Amino acid sequence: MNRAFLAGLVRLAITLAVIGAVLLAVLIPFALPHEHPGTVIAAFLLGPLSSLRHLGNVAEYATPIAFTGLAATVVFRSGLFNLGIESGVFLGGLAATTAALLLLSFGPFTPFVAIVVGAVVGSISCIVPGELRLRWEAPEMVTSLVLNFAILYAGVFFLNYYLRDPAAGSLMSYRIPADAKLDRLLAGTRLNSGAIVALVACLAGGVWLYFTRSGLNLRIVGQGPVFASHLGLPSRRIIMQAQIVGGMIAGMAGAIQVLGLYPRFSWTQLPGLGWTGIIIAILARENPFYVVPAALFLGYLQVGGDFLARDIGIPSEVVGLITAAIMLAVTATAIFQHPAVLRLIRRIRQVEAAR
Amino acid sequence: MTGLLNIVADPATFATVLRVMTPLLIAALGILISDRAGVFNLGMEGMMLTGALVGVLVSAWTGSAWLGLLAAVVAGGLMGALMAFAVNTLGANLIITGIALNLAASSGTTLGLFFATGDKGMSGALKSGVMPSIDLAVLGSIPVIGPFVSGHNVLTYGALLAVPLVSLMMARTAFGLRIRAVGVDPKAAATVGISVKLIQLKALILSGVLGGMAGAYLSMGYVSWFAQDMTAGRGFIAIAIEVMGMGTAWGTLAATVVIAIAETLAITMQTLGLPNELMQMIPYVVPIVILTIWTARGRAKRAALK
Amino acid sequence: MTDRRDDGERAAGPAPVVAFDHISKTYANGTVALRDVSFSIPARTIHAICGENGAGKSTLMKILFGLEGPTAGQVLLDGQPVSTATRDFAGRHGIGMVHQHFSLIPTLSVTENIILGHEPKKGVLIDRAAARAKVEALSQRYGLAVDPDAITGRLPVAAQQKVEILKALSRDTRVLILDEPTAVLSPPEINELFSRLRDLRDHGITILFISHKLNEVRSLAESVTVLRAGQVAGAARLADVPDNMIMQMVMGRPVEITRREPRQVTGEPLLVMSGVSLASRDPADRLRDIDLVIHPGEIVGVAGVDGSGQRGLVSLVTGAARPGAGSISFDGEDMAAASTERWRARGMAHLPSDRFTQGGVPALTLIENAIAGTDGDRRFQRGPFLRGGAISEAVAGMVEDYSVRALSIGERLDSLSGGNVQKLIAARELATEPRFLIADQPTRGIDVAAAAFIHKRIVDAAERGAAVLLVTADLDELLRLSDRVVVMFGGQITAVLANEAHLTPERLGPFMLGLEDMP
Repeated sequence: MNRAFLAGLVRLAITLAVIGAVLLAVLIPFALPHEHPGTVIAAFLLGPLSSLRHLGNVAEYATPIAFTGLAATVVFRSGLFNLGIESGVFLGGLAATTAALLLLSFGPFTPFVAIVVGAVVGSISCIVPGELRLRWEAPEMVTSLVLNFAILYAGVFFLNYYLRDPAAGSLMSYRIPADAKLDRLLAGTRLNSGAIVALVACLAGGVWLYFTRSGLNLRIVGQGPVFASHLGLPSRRIIMQAQIVGGMIAGMAGAIQVLGLYPRFSWTQLPGLGWTGIIIAILARENPFYVVPAALFLGYLQVGGDFLARDIGIPSEVVGLITAAIMLAVTATAIFQHPAVLRLIRRIRQVEAAR
Repeated sequence: MTGLLNIVADPATFATVLRVMTPLLIAALGILISDRAGVFNLGMEGMMLTGALVGVLVSAWTGSAWLGLLAAVVAGGLMGALMAFAVNTLGANLIITGIALNLAASSGTTLGLFFATGDKGMSGALKSGVMPSIDLAVLGSIPVIGPFVSGHNVLTYGALLAVPLVSLMMARTAFGLRIRAVGVDPKAAATVGISVKLIQLKALILSGVLGGMAGAYLSMGYVSWFAQDMTAGRGFIAIAIEVMGMGTAWGTLAATVVIAIAETLAITMQTLGLPNELMQMIPYVVPIVILTIWTARGRAKRAALK
Repeated sequence: MTDRRDDGERAAGPAPVVAFDHISKTYANGTVALRDVSFSIPARTIHAICGENGAGKSTLMKILFGLEGPTAGQVLLDGQPVSTATRDFAGRHGIGMVHQHFSLIPTLSVTENIILGHEPKKGVLIDRAAARAKVEALSQRYGLAVDPDAITGRLPVAAQQKVEILKALSRDTRVLILDEPTAVLSPPEINELFSRLRDLRDHGITILFISHKLNEVRSLAESVTVLRAGQVAGAARLADVPDNMIMQMVMGRPVEITRREPRQVTGEPLLVMSGVSLASRDPADRLRDIDLVIHPGEIVGVAGVDGSGQRGLVSLVTGAARPGAGSISFDGEDMAAASTERWRARGMAHLPSDRFTQGGVPALTLIENAIAGTDGDRRFQRGPFLRGGAISEAVAGMVEDYSVRALSIGERLDSLSGGNVQKLIAARELATEPRFLIADQPTRGIDVAAAAFIHKRIVDAAERGAAVLLVTADLDELLRLSDRVVVMFGGQITAVLANEAHLTPERLGPFMLGLEDMP
């Protein structure tokens, strides 16, 4: 058996143990005041697995955040901490809605066209901070952070003045035409064909990063910028490429979320899916293949939170606390680079090497 | 045009600028202290939000706005300490810790509000105190200027006072000197016996204290309630302000004034019939433009040196 | 803490100020840095500690300065055992250190740097008047003139070093450690520094001078301890021993250089630089009026004190910088404005001095590091996709060929030792059969066997017809490999010498120090 694989298993086991510990540590204080603390924990942990429909809900939650997790992965791999994916989602949803409402119908290809429009427009949110950084060295983290809000208000303006349905009670667009909507996959849930696209996108992203020349070059530029320039790689082009692709994926996330779930476009705040994408990218250790399980895991937590809210009366925001704690725990070098862990891993490798 | 002139000359407009400035200035000064110590506080948004809720809850329970403020400040300080613990003891990444803190605060305040009031959205059921406004008796009676300088919230005066205080602390105290040393080169600072972790812990606590105060102003400054995610990205604007202020207290004040004027313009121009949403963009576009110009100029200068 | 001045001046048989008593240090990763080191330093002397890179000098000083603790043994100050590696150890015991890479904060003022960590206070504020007075007093007492209000980072290097010394002296210092202090200085500045150090000794300060430059040691110090491979290889009063004996202690063998067979180089030169100058923010990178040619099959070695312009030279022929004036041609083609990409396309290969940031990516695997930069190579690529099987096979071959010791080629680069990393980088860079090889400090910090291996590969490349530019601080290596030696000083070429039997490090010295200049 492969040594590196075995050593990886050790890390995986520690990760799972840490996640389990954090889950319980956050849940138990909420469960204890309850009459039967066990039922609280059970509702959270087992509820999402209790039926096919609930599993469908998990996948439904996982769909957009798998996209944004992939987007964050691609962007971060270029070495830029570009937070533009947050507004990329918003922009993608808005642009896809606009395309569905204003363009002619393309028959069965309508959703496809709308998503492409969403992706292209959404990518602006990552391209702008990336370009400001590459051209003028403006700090991309700060510019993308505030650009998110600028884009939000520009988008709300557009919604208000061009897409607003005056007949609707509040600020929302006209109804999205039926032929632009994505197919539902599972009755009783909003799980749609976007989930399949998300899965394929993550796999394709993994193949790109790990099995193609351009993916290798992206990882070299992101993790070894000085080395990249010594090799003579066109770093700026490679970095910009990653911003474009990351932004497009974020835009797709928004487009698919809106076309798959909602009757109208009604976001007047940033949807927060970009931030969740960052969390996923971190949990997945910036590996697209791991984005899928990480997104499913967060989806599972979210459905668990819904069970708590519905059956027990504890708000589902508990999930946010759990997620935050997990983020800290799985990135803590004090745990993963603890001398005892490193020794264990080294021993496994040496035992294997001795054979 | 006369409409606009009337607005500019109106003490109410000036009051609006100060009202908008206050939380941004306090928060940006908090970020400044953390940034100079080499532990950039991306969790400011979360600290503000926590301070806003804790302030309202405690002031409602005790009937004292001041106790509410104290509690908000303590809560912010604790979050700063938590951040220092995560970064320096657990070895978590600084930026990730900030993001996690924001997420935890956003969820945690909703939960806290729910358990305290049974409502997830607003704290309308609680009777919170409000930080008092101060009439500066002498100054207030001066004609023309009087209405401009007097009658603002106590925290507004506090924020303005904090600028020279932070400036003095950074430039003239041993703690400030050590913060500046640790932020630039922690290893070199350690060789003269400075505990880098301790300095960073103190800086983050102080940053959190200011964050809590900024939050308390939001919920108890000119309103008396807490609403879900009521900070609405002000912690992030404060980050942009601090970066625009080039890491100095006076620069931060100047950047805050620019942003506050932009936001006030946005608010008042709506009354002139301009699209609300486009006006709301202004305070977010301004920092992008200014930051880009500055870094571009810095680059040109460096290139000229070559 | 007792009054130390009295201790030092106690008349009856004073204990040595510093004594190392059977000090050993083994790091967590198993590296043995020091083995049973014992020696002592009498008060009010200048004592030199010599040794090659990696001999353990720095570790020993880190222990004395309190940054690390010994694994075994103890440090005695004035005959009393003390536990080092405690907080502010050095400050409390009056030990100051002038670090090779200064420990100054560039953004602070001179005064702020000097008082940092022990600020005089008036109420809650720093007593600026007292601080300034202190700096001025120190500066006057030791004859080290500085502007107390200047921003440290804007001062020239020699002035920064003065600040660093004042900082080290600012806390009732009686032992002053200087780690390779002359590396950044020009010869007149070195003379100035040495006379200041003698003054300090006369003020009663004991000085530990760490250096590998024998001429400096001889001109400054009274006694010397030589470390080799973590052990004391010898100790002597300098007046009693000749140079070559110390050299022998340092090297551990008689100094004799086995040179490569001299080669007759004919034909047109491959690389021609003429009248090249380079402007840079960092004075150490600036170049003035460089003329240099390298023929196919020729190894040209560049000697010089660190920061004499070597880095600038390398950046010009790797496409990292453009010359301000002059011309650079390669195989007849004008390359003055060529990018790294273009240099590489013409057959340039580069063994960079910093392996982990310039030579590879620590977090990527051996495989990925080995094929980095082979874009478009049909053996490794089918369309956009990498050919995993063919790549693994090729990399396994490279690892075998260059005897890179690794658990597997799927390991991360940072799991390898420095020598193995360098072998892998060499394997990658030489795989393309370069026409022009730049070897920048190719064996620094790596073990002897790996170094010999790298040397052989560099020579092989030259024998296949590559033009080789060898930049090295290791004169032994320089003389072993080079056909011709170019000496740089202050951004200029001060000598071009054929590498013949009479060329010795001693002969190179004056050129390296800028004392002599060949017309």
